Amino acid sequence: MTKHLLTLVWNRRRANALVVLEIFISFLVLFAAVTLGAYYADNYRRPLGYSYENVWDISVGSLMEMISGDSATEDKKNITKRLLAALRDFPEIEASAGMDNPLFSIGTSNGVYHHQGRKTLASFCAVTDGFQDVMRLELVRGRWFEAADDALDWDPVLINQRLANELFGSEDPLGKNIGNPEEKRQARVVGIITEYRENGELFEPESYVLVRRKLTGVADDAMRHIVIRVRPGTTAAFEETVMTRLLATARGTSFEIKPLAQVRASFLRFCMAPLLAIGVVAAFLMIMVSLGLVGVVWQNVTQRTTEIGLRRALGGTATAIYTQVLGELVVITSVGLLLGTALVAQLPLLGVMTFVGTRVFLVGLGTSLALIYLLTLLCGLYPSMLASKIQPAEALHYE
Amino acid sequence: MLKNYLKMAFKVLLRRKFFTFISLFGVSLTLVVLMVLVALFDHTFGAYPPETKTDRTLGVLFVEFRSPDDHSMINGFAGYGFLDRYVRTLPNVEKVSLYSFPTTAVSYLNGAPVTSWLKRADGEFWQILDFRFLEGRPFTPQDEKDRNFVAVINETTRKRFFSDGPAVGKFLEVDGQHFRVVGVVPDIPILRIVPFADIWVPISTAKTDTYRGQKLWGNYLAMILARQRSDFPMIKDEYHDVLKRVEFPDPQHYNKAFGEAETLLDVASRAFLLERGYGESPVRRFMAWLILLMVLFMLLPTINLVNINVSRIRERSSEIGVRKAFGASSLTLVGQFVVENVLLTLVGGGIGFVLSYGVLHFISSTGLIPYAHFGVNYRIFLGGLAITLFFGLLSGVYPAWKMSRLHPAVALRGRG
Repeated sequence: MTKHLLTLVWNRRRANALVVLEIFISFLVLFAAVTLGAYYADNYRRPLGYSYENVWDISVGSLMEMISGDSATEDKKNITKRLLAALRDFPEIEASAGMDNPLFSIGTSNGVYHHQGRKTLASFCAVTDGFQDVMRLELVRGRWFEAADDALDWDPVLINQRLANELFGSEDPLGKNIGNPEEKRQARVVGIITEYRENGELFEPESYVLVRRKLTGVADDAMRHIVIRVRPGTTAAFEETVMTRLLATARGTSFEIKPLAQVRASFLRFCMAPLLAIGVVAAFLMIMVSLGLVGVVWQNVTQRTTEIGLRRALGGTATAIYTQVLGELVVITSVGLLLGTALVAQLPLLGVMTFVGTRVFLVGLGTSLALIYLLTLLCGLYPSMLASKIQPAEALHYE
Repeated sequence: MLKNYLKMAFKVLLRRKFFTFISLFGVSLTLVVLMVLVALFDHTFGAYPPETKTDRTLGVLFVEFRSPDDHSMINGFAGYGFLDRYVRTLPNVEKVSLYSFPTTAVSYLNGAPVTSWLKRADGEFWQILDFRFLEGRPFTPQDEKDRNFVAVINETTRKRFFSDGPAVGKFLEVDGQHFRVVGVVPDIPILRIVPFADIWVPISTAKTDTYRGQKLWGNYLAMILARQRSDFPMIKDEYHDVLKRVEFPDPQHYNKAFGEAETLLDVASRAFLLERGYGESPVRRFMAWLILLMVLFMLLPTINLVNINVSRIRERSSEIGVRKAFGASSLTLVGQFVVENVLLTLVGGGIGFVLSYGVLHFISSTGLIPYAHFGVNYRIFLGGLAITLFFGLLSGVYPAWKMSRLHPAVALRGRG
């Protein structure tokens, strides 16, 4: 049966080649779209490691001042300390802390971390004591930062489990140095947190280091952001009160206050827009291709009326015809998909798309293969039904 | 003859409605996708007011500073001090304007925070750009010099703060500073990054005057209006020369400056091509890439159309046989089928235009891109027409050529 189908398809190879090409390209398009979707969906369902509800982000200093340092320097001394102290007065604020890199935005700071000759790249962010209370981080082992750390001659850091596994494997990271061994002042692990995903849900989880910032009162200490956890139910009206206090505490500096939930929502929208556009375009291409396929198969069937009629006259059942038409379509589709899979399989070998893990890659491959088979079968249903209804007598008169 | 072809084409289109529908669906939606992209491009780079003098405007958008050993570099907007000293003094230009990249600024309206994009600009900014004023006037170089707290606002800001009534003469609190409104302009789309802002105020009203310092990088851009377009090479050379003479405040760390007086499209092209160097304009290569990507995108719709056309023409093999038997050459037949296909795609193109208009309207109304109002103008129309014709030819030639080679005897029997 299969061999026979192959012969039938081979006999009409000229006409089928274009359909094979169409399926081949459709598969590539679908694979790209599905894999991309699977990649982001996979990232999205993993835990963030912190809670953003009821947390407000305050950016200290406008973008301009941040880039150029165009701000009165004497005013910057102790600025973080003074701002945090001012915020502590409000009963609406449960906890507050300073941090350098904002959450839910593009871009990270990266550094290389070492352990016994092993090196790994990780993102990092400097934070002040109490950051864990604002963000509700989860500690796996070890301890948080504390005020007594000011006296240490090394920098305490918290690392996430991913980095702990990558750098230490089964060893215990607590108390070990992870900075460049040639540097004098060392970064030493005091605790391990479950996770910390600075760029939000869509981005791949990465190795992360939270570095304790010692606020000693020099201008360089100024943190670019302050995060506060407000009591549930605090309204936006409280924002102005905070803003007034901030402006009074640090003259000449600009602030922007935004609830993190809102920052997250607009950042997600910003990241999703291009993905959505890609999805819409891919869906449109697939609809177009399926409609085209229906047309082509239909035309094929009409053209082969005599052949099908003859088969019916010689005793072929309607079901046999039905299976034949669909079978031919499956063979053609398989050829296209085989070529497509062969090409796509080169991608990991060539080192392209390495950012997509093997699992996501396989899911993308499997889903797009299944989708194309489903689509072509659906396209073949109606024409093959028409074919099975051809009457031998009518068909044999055809000319 | 052409009339005959068209008549016949029309009849054929009506004969197999399903096939016609598939073809039109593919053509029109392909066109919609391409038209939306073209409109987006035109919206960002086309010459629209207030940027009416783009043909003789250059900009200093990014500068790059490198350390003596080239290991560390800073690439970004320049500082005010740098531009003031080295770009504003360029000879042989008509005007130079300095302005900041917009930053967000917060105001409180009855306790509710309102975020606006604030741009600081000098008086020349309003002289180079042709803003239409709904009311009032721009601020002037004198306002900048006297550190007057005046502001020009856009329509949306007027609606937010003054509920649409006249705003000139009223006061506005932004980021803790108070400004008197002197003018109101229509909303500028966010993608027009040179003029865009919600609120424009003089540079000198900055909270501190440290921006005037020697800092090389910062948040400022420059706009250079040339006397005529042919001066561009001269101005670019002069800017290169000036960059070689820059005095560095901290030469151990940074002692080299690179940059180009260029257009926004130059910058975008470089970014797209991931090129870092400065020099020859990359716009042509950028365009070549865009066209290549467009053709790649059209590949699938084209193959689809070819497949349908092959089926459709095969149905007409007896007609082809008759025409061949009466002496029609292959070339004539190819011509006929191509004309038919171009007609089909043009109909699809027409539908595509109407749909694109709707889609663009929809995108504008979602507010996904603030203040964007995409329209279809003659440039976009011509672009779409060119795409459609190209599409029609591409998908018509192969099936036509294939069928025109049928042997008359075979064709007459009605078998392809």
